[in-house]
Amino acid sequence: MTGRRFEAFVLGPGASTGELTMLEIDGAAGSGQGLSLVVPELSPDSVRGLIRRLQEGADALVCRSVSDITEVLGRVGERFGDEADEVRREALALLPATAGVSDAMARAILDGMAADWTHKRLRALVAAEFEDPAALDGITAIRGREVMAVGPRLCVQIVSGSVPGVGVSALIRSLIVKAPTLLKPGLGDVVLPVLFARALRAEDEGIANALAVVYWPGGSTALEAAALAEADVVTVYGSDDTVASVRAAAPPTARVVGYHHRVSLGVIGREALASETVGDVAAHVARSVGMFDQRGCVCPQVIYVERSGATEPVGFAEVLAEALAELETRLPSGPLSPEEGAVLQQMRGNAELMAATGRATVFHGGDEASWSVISETDALPGASCLGRSVRVRPLRDATDLAGELGRLQGHLQTVAYAGLGERLSALAADWARMGVSRVAPFWDVSFPPPWWLHDGRGPLQELVRWVEIDRP
Amino acid sequence: MSADENDASTSVTFTKLAKELEGRFRRGLSDAWSEDDFEELARGVFRHQFEACATYQAYCRKRGVTPESVATWEDIPAVPATAFKYFDFVSAHGDVEATFLTSGTTRGEEQRGRHHVPRLDLYRASLMPPFEAALLPERRPLRFLSLVPDPKTVPESSLSFMVGAAAETWATETHWLVDEAGNVDAAALGDVLDLIAASGEPVLLLGTALAFVHVLESDGNRLGPLPEGSRIMETGGFKGARRTVSRERLYDQIAQATGVPSERVVNEYGMTELLSQLYEPVLAEGSESVGVHVPPPWLRVRALDPLTLRPVAAGQDGILAYFDLANLGSISHILTEDVGSVVNGRMRLRGRASGAEPRGCSRAMDDLMTAAEGHR
Repeated sequence: MTGRRFEAFVLGPGASTGELTMLEIDGAAGSGQGLSLVVPELSPDSVRGLIRRLQEGADALVCRSVSDITEVLGRVGERFGDEADEVRREALALLPATAGVSDAMARAILDGMAADWTHKRLRALVAAEFEDPAALDGITAIRGREVMAVGPRLCVQIVSGSVPGVGVSALIRSLIVKAPTLLKPGLGDVVLPVLFARALRAEDEGIANALAVVYWPGGSTALEAAALAEADVVTVYGSDDTVASVRAAAPPTARVVGYHHRVSLGVIGREALASETVGDVAAHVARSVGMFDQRGCVCPQVIYVERSGATEPVGFAEVLAEALAELETRLPSGPLSPEEGAVLQQMRGNAELMAATGRATVFHGGDEASWSVISETDALPGASCLGRSVRVRPLRDATDLAGELGRLQGHLQTVAYAGLGERLSALAADWARMGVSRVAPFWDVSFPPPWWLHDGRGPLQELVRWVEIDRP
Repeated sequence: MSADENDASTSVTFTKLAKELEGRFRRGLSDAWSEDDFEELARGVFRHQFEACATYQAYCRKRGVTPESVATWEDIPAVPATAFKYFDFVSAHGDVEATFLTSGTTRGEEQRGRHHVPRLDLYRASLMPPFEAALLPERRPLRFLSLVPDPKTVPESSLSFMVGAAAETWATETHWLVDEAGNVDAAALGDVLDLIAASGEPVLLLGTALAFVHVLESDGNRLGPLPEGSRIMETGGFKGARRTVSRERLYDQIAQATGVPSERVVNEYGMTELLSQLYEPVLAEGSESVGVHVPPPWLRVRALDPLTLRPVAAGQDGILAYFDLANLGSISHILTEDVGSVVNGRMRLRGRASGAEPRGCSRAMDDLMTAAEGHR
């Protein structure tokens, strides 16, 4: 392989890479951009050794105060937002190839993510989740009870590669609760956790000794089993199948936090459809669809538009298409792999057949861009959420949306909204009962704050165990 | 023209073209097809399909394409292979002789594609020469051992039809060894293996990758030894299967179990939406042709850019598109979900997309909705 090489691992304390064989893998998602990732060839024994050393570093982490840890993590995180910092520059140089996104998208994603990795935001995360953060440092009286929140002795995190930055947010969470952490990132999200772990080592060796970042190919069951065997908390991000397989492989004593397949959708109320506002609304919708090139679970896939507004649903689809075309010039989408293109072209072709037979209206970026808008009256088959593709469906009234949601069972995540006015609270309560865990304006959906109730629960609370002292 | 006159004209054109193509197909693979031959037939076929299939005509017109506007067959609009699930493409008048269905997947609730075939003789004429060239280069009849179900039990399978049609001409005897659900009749298989071991005559063993895996992984099942000179056709990949094995490993296992060297295992590439098939010419050309699939002269394959859908350079991976003259009765130009490269008209497959799932935690919402309905 020619071109750049990136050492895509941080093995934690005292590890000698001399004992391990190194592999070079294509880090550019087959795009031929010439970036190889150097990763260790692991064995179950080497994974066990890695974990042993992390656990040995646990004492140094546990004796630190949560405010101290948060401050250190914030200092490291802030480097990713600092234009003058070499860590940010290296991240921006590597992200386009490894994550398959455009340069502008890499910058937008890093800006959005790193805004939450600051000391201020992380302190706010701890405050949002713990009535008294001192409970993470020792026995603390909270509302008349003596309690303590204890982090896991080992947290193993298996992260998907679809959205870069998720891995860093994940490792920040487990380090805040003082858990030695083994993070296995997905291939598309390997750069940021590795850079973070290195920068952490430069900042604070004691905390860094409790963190290792290693990649292994999905489906390496022996490695996964070795990693999971010692974990008392496991988090896994990925498809339903990935989550199911990790659950099955984890020991019964481990708590498995699964972030499985989720879908998000949007709803636009009549108040937003006035001719003077609809262009701005469409721009926000376009950004929520385009950010992460529709790969994130927060990206809305279907936009329901109320029929009673000044702009009809099909008219809105057309305005949205213009907004996506405009977005493409500022925030271009990443290259399509042939496999992704194959799925996209099936979807487009089917939509055009539907359009030819009067069942849909289609707008797309043709041979210039992957964005596609399909306006349909009923849910047509052949859906796909690849390459900034979005469907627009009419809704008689926003109250009808809850009926549509029932079929999505446990897979719902965000409802993005615009133009619901005073009706929002009542509607949100209905959607909540159907399984939605977040209701947010379109301009906010891409980057939820660090304290968001991730798929319905506080992300730090998910990781800790509560202990209570009773006294006579 | 009145509707009746229109139907009559469609019918005449279809029959005329079908007869011409059948005659041409029967001349076999060594028949020299010039670019002009293909071009002329392709445009004739397009004109017919445009006139006969209203959905296709509307689709072409939306793109501003008519039979008069195309400069070459490459300009003729391709329909996505998955559209066979949602539309009934019939470019003929009157009843169809067969409707073949695509295989279901493990998400069994998914709709199956339907390929309507107005004239089975055209299918027969197209399937025989490539089959013979790839599997029967000596043109000598032999015994067929089929791990593909009998077409009598699964009339909706184009693969079963193909094996049945080939067997009618070339099999001294055919042993159908799996039922319509794909279950292997182990006792019958054992009996046949004893019989052929005693006779020592070479056989043709045919099956899908999945069928071979089932046989190889069930305790007590044998698959050989097969007499010298035997050959094997493997097809189908693992579409919709929960588990897969690599091709190399599967062929090693097949070779070990049958005693037939792995370079005599011929991969057939076909799909319900295409009536013509491609084969690896390993029997004729040896192991350097492993992984290379050769189309018959009436089937053209191109690798296209994932976004622009323009042809990519020779040897570069792209989305595979086929123009199959044998698809006269439906639509000839098909854009597949498969990825591969093309060099000198021969295709090399990269990976068989099984509805390539989007990366990460996002998943198509309607896909989830369909799944939820299927579970009810």
